[in-house]
Amino acid sequence: MADYGAGNLHSLRKALERCGAVVTVTESMNTLAEAECIAFPGVGAFDNVMARIGDASGEIVRSILNGTPCLGICIGMQISADGSEEGHLPGIGLIEGRVVRMRAERVPQIGWNHVLSDDPLFEGIDSLLFYFAHSFVISPKDPGVVRGITEYESMTIPSLVRKNNFVGSQFHPEKSGSSGLRFLSNFVEFAEGCL
Amino acid sequence: MCPRSRGEGVQAKRIIPCLDVKNGKVVKGVRFKGLSDVGNPPDMAEAYEAQGADEVTFLDITASLETRQTILDLVSETAERLFVPLTVGGGIRTADDMRDALNAGADKVSVNSAAINNPDMIRECAERFGSQCVVIAIDAKKEGDSWNVYTHGGTKRTELDAVEWARRAEELGAGEILLTSMDADGVKEGYDIPLTKAVADAVNIPVIASGGCGSKEHIYEVLTGTNAAAALAASIFHYNECTVGEVKEFLRERGVAVR
Repeated sequence: MADYGAGNLHSLRKALERCGAVVTVTESMNTLAEAECIAFPGVGAFDNVMARIGDASGEIVRSILNGTPCLGICIGMQISADGSEEGHLPGIGLIEGRVVRMRAERVPQIGWNHVLSDDPLFEGIDSLLFYFAHSFVISPKDPGVVRGITEYESMTIPSLVRKNNFVGSQFHPEKSGSSGLRFLSNFVEFAEGCL
Repeated sequence: MCPRSRGEGVQAKRIIPCLDVKNGKVVKGVRFKGLSDVGNPPDMAEAYEAQGADEVTFLDITASLETRQTILDLVSETAERLFVPLTVGGGIRTADDMRDALNAGADKVSVNSAAINNPDMIRECAERFGSQCVVIAIDAKKEGDSWNVYTHGGTKRTELDAVEWARRAEELGAGEILLTSMDADGVKEGYDIPLTKAVADAVNIPVIASGGCGSKEHIYEVLTGTNAAAALAASIFHYNECTVGEVKEFLRERGVAVR
């Protein structure tokens, strides 16, 4: 799990551990590319996160393209894009498209909202309400990578994106009670299947 | 993609149990005075999540400098056991205090007096940590036709108007308003509907109604009679008068979207 020095990583670490994962938190971004599974937590601003990732970006992308399962949450998902209106630095460019500011009256969206999805990562989850806290959303060029959506005011937000072994959520599963833990456990199971 | 049904994209109203923590214990006061112990924060937070709480608020009302680290340790211990958001407040004076609380495991941090003394702190915190974790707590008391803001746990009157201050906080980058009616707090006769309505209609960020909850009917009233996004309550949950689950069932039966 990447530590970009931006605050609370504990919640994602302990949630993944609860789901059976063995988590090592590292500030060394080059180490990430060698992991069996990569997690980008959901704290921080776009440029700060990308500045920390820096030159390791290429190796990380190669590793993901070679099949390493990767989970990105909120900003950790948004950095998979080419760039963001939140900052100036390029993203890691795994998902073609940009991150844009939400065009809604009430920004940030903070609270529990429905995820509509038929992705297997939601298997066994009764309540599809998840916790959101964000001002920006990803806007992928290829609609095929959008695997879950959430309605907010008049917007339809891509709340789950997937590209092969990369899974990115706009919501915070680590803050979404039992539904979130089940989602993470489904991800851990999926990641084990990639080994 | 196969969306289940349209119209599900409505945010659920949140129910937030509040832990007022003094010297390491959860206490419950009446009109900001006369405190009595009711339990220990990590155990209570965990129990509330199990009941269906959408979030837990941890307010340190000890707020003396020498106990800062003790409080942060208790925040960590509480955060360690929660899988829903945790808001921490009380004694936050600077952006670095906010960083410490976030590092201890808080997802959001509420600021009251310090933001009034130095409104730029809101902007600084929003830039450093993101608006989504900056909560501005407002304690308001009715005077004539409007509400004045009080600081320092309700002991110091300011000249600020509550509605105006909420608007200004939003402009500066606050992500949420935690609005407590000092007139209603602790007396369990219901939330302050006119105050909550006035503030929630004036801003575009979520308003958490606080103060005065004595029953699940009161929660229903504030969530349907105003634009509040969430209702915070303490004693009805602390004294087992009603569980979070019972409140949600009551709301759901009456058509309020809850988790």
